[in-house]
Amino acid sequence: MTQQVSTVPNSSFVAAKARDFGRFLKRLIKSPSAKIGGGICLVLVVTAIFAPLIAPYDPIELGSGQALQPPNFKFWFGTDEFGRDLFSRIVYGSRLTLYIGLIAVGISMTVGVLVGLVAGYVGGWIETVLMRLVDVLFSFTETLIALAAVAVLGPSLTNAMIAVGISSIPFYARITYGAVLVEKNKEYFKAAEAVGAQHVRLLFRHILPNILSPIIVVATVGVSVAVLSASALSFLGLGAQPPSPEWGAMLAAGRDYFKRAPWITTFPGLAIAITVLGFNLLGDALREALDPQQRT
Amino acid sequence: MTRFIIKRILSGIFTIWVTTVAVTLLIHLVPGDPVQIMFAQSQSTTPEQIEQIRSQLGLDRPIYEQYFMYMGRILQGDFGTTIRGNQPVLELLLVRLPNTLVLALSSLLITMVVGVTAGFFAAYKRGSWLDTTLMTSAIIGISIPSFWLGLMLMYVFSIRLGWLPVSGTDFKNLILPALTLGLANAAAVSRLTRSSMLDVLSQDYMRTARAKGLAETMVLSRHALRNGLINVVNMLGLQFTYMMGGAIVVENVFAWNGIGRLAIQSIFQRDYPTIQGFILIFATVVVVVSIVLDLLYAWIDPRITYS
Repeated sequence: MTQQVSTVPNSSFVAAKARDFGRFLKRLIKSPSAKIGGGICLVLVVTAIFAPLIAPYDPIELGSGQALQPPNFKFWFGTDEFGRDLFSRIVYGSRLTLYIGLIAVGISMTVGVLVGLVAGYVGGWIETVLMRLVDVLFSFTETLIALAAVAVLGPSLTNAMIAVGISSIPFYARITYGAVLVEKNKEYFKAAEAVGAQHVRLLFRHILPNILSPIIVVATVGVSVAVLSASALSFLGLGAQPPSPEWGAMLAAGRDYFKRAPWITTFPGLAIAITVLGFNLLGDALREALDPQQRT
Repeated sequence: MTRFIIKRILSGIFTIWVTTVAVTLLIHLVPGDPVQIMFAQSQSTTPEQIEQIRSQLGLDRPIYEQYFMYMGRILQGDFGTTIRGNQPVLELLLVRLPNTLVLALSSLLITMVVGVTAGFFAAYKRGSWLDTTLMTSAIIGISIPSFWLGLMLMYVFSIRLGWLPVSGTDFKNLILPALTLGLANAAAVSRLTRSSMLDVLSQDYMRTARAKGLAETMVLSRHALRNGLINVVNMLGLQFTYMMGGAIVVENVFAWNGIGRLAIQSIFQRDYPTIQGFILIFATVVVVVSIVLDLLYAWIDPRITYS
């Protein structure tokens, strides 16, 4: 008679996980960083979704008002050199920002987590080769990797997103790799392995759900890093191109009118800083809520 | 210690080797014909000239042959010539490299002084208004894009107050770019220093030092700061890497004549020999300086053992 052994978690284990999650949520809700950061991120998402309803003018059409008007009741953030309403451009720019953040983090997280999972799980020469390559990428800055990628692909917003995504792969790979090594030595994993669970099941059903917490924290902060890097590329002229209302590109265009119209550079810069601050605060709050011992 | 030094140098050599392979492959990853792309802006180039350039760059040979050809040239100090102007790439990079190094190292100094001071006082006055103010400033500082901070500093100190020049490459021109890059990174260092100092301040030896009647300044400077800074000094190599990366952006804000500015111009012109040279020189400098800083750290703190 053969005995069927289930590798599906039992009900008490699920209940314990649910209790942990409840505690995590309680800690998160109490955190001022989570409130401010979450609030900023929520405003960004709402602005991006309802941009056509919020923005009073078309972000691209020339001559909504007179050129280079300072902030006033009609044009809250003033107008640019083509008479376009800066407020409307920043509102529409939030869509691009969110898009950039999600795509770039999507690329880096997918590839990085896969590399880390495979390296940590398979071990041997594959582990050595993959992690040495990750170490090499770590030796350079994200900026250099992103520049090299743009040099290959050519300047454009899509390519900038890909470049930023590629540049962050080592972070996810290293975090995942470290977490996999820890999980591989835990009893639940050894038990699942002993009852003959398939590799794919072991990786995606057992290891991945248990290492998601650090990956989520890195991804949250990763959005802020992606927004900063992509706006830097656009500022240098290597990302979004005019007349795109991307905040970094708007800043770059405003440089020529810096003395006469400083508001063209001030508001997009503030928008980038507040967005990045939001994701950084949320990332900090998540980290503390997931691991209260780290709180200082 | 000797084992650590050898291991560290070998890993540096490996990194540079991987960079040479990546740099050779870079031109092949370009979608389309790289030579056509390089000369797309110049209408006077004939098909014969394009073929000649292809042959000069070795692009008509197998990749492994191209790699050995490229390495052979690099080892002789020949990084090729720029696509427009036919200037030697290495010479162009070496003329500008000192400017980038001066900027990165001055910024590193500002980062360490401002970041360590802020982190130290935040930890010492934990929970006070000073701690809250400093750490709030730090998280805001981390979130500000360096290129925007640079523009804002330029607006205040150069345009409004007229105290400092907008661009150039002498000492007075260095202040704003170095401040921009230094302050942007000081925020991260201050958070690291605070957390490291909090750990040290709660140690038993701190209580013992106070209990035996040492003056508070002595306790802080001799015991707290020295031990608390170990983690910070350990991050020097990484910080320098960040500075070099940040310099690429900041150089372009202040028209600082470094290799970062040259790199951006080359990307616009699709000047691949210069881009390849830039990546190689940048990687080599980052690896060499990081090794030197790591060795310095191992020498300062011999208790640290390396596996």
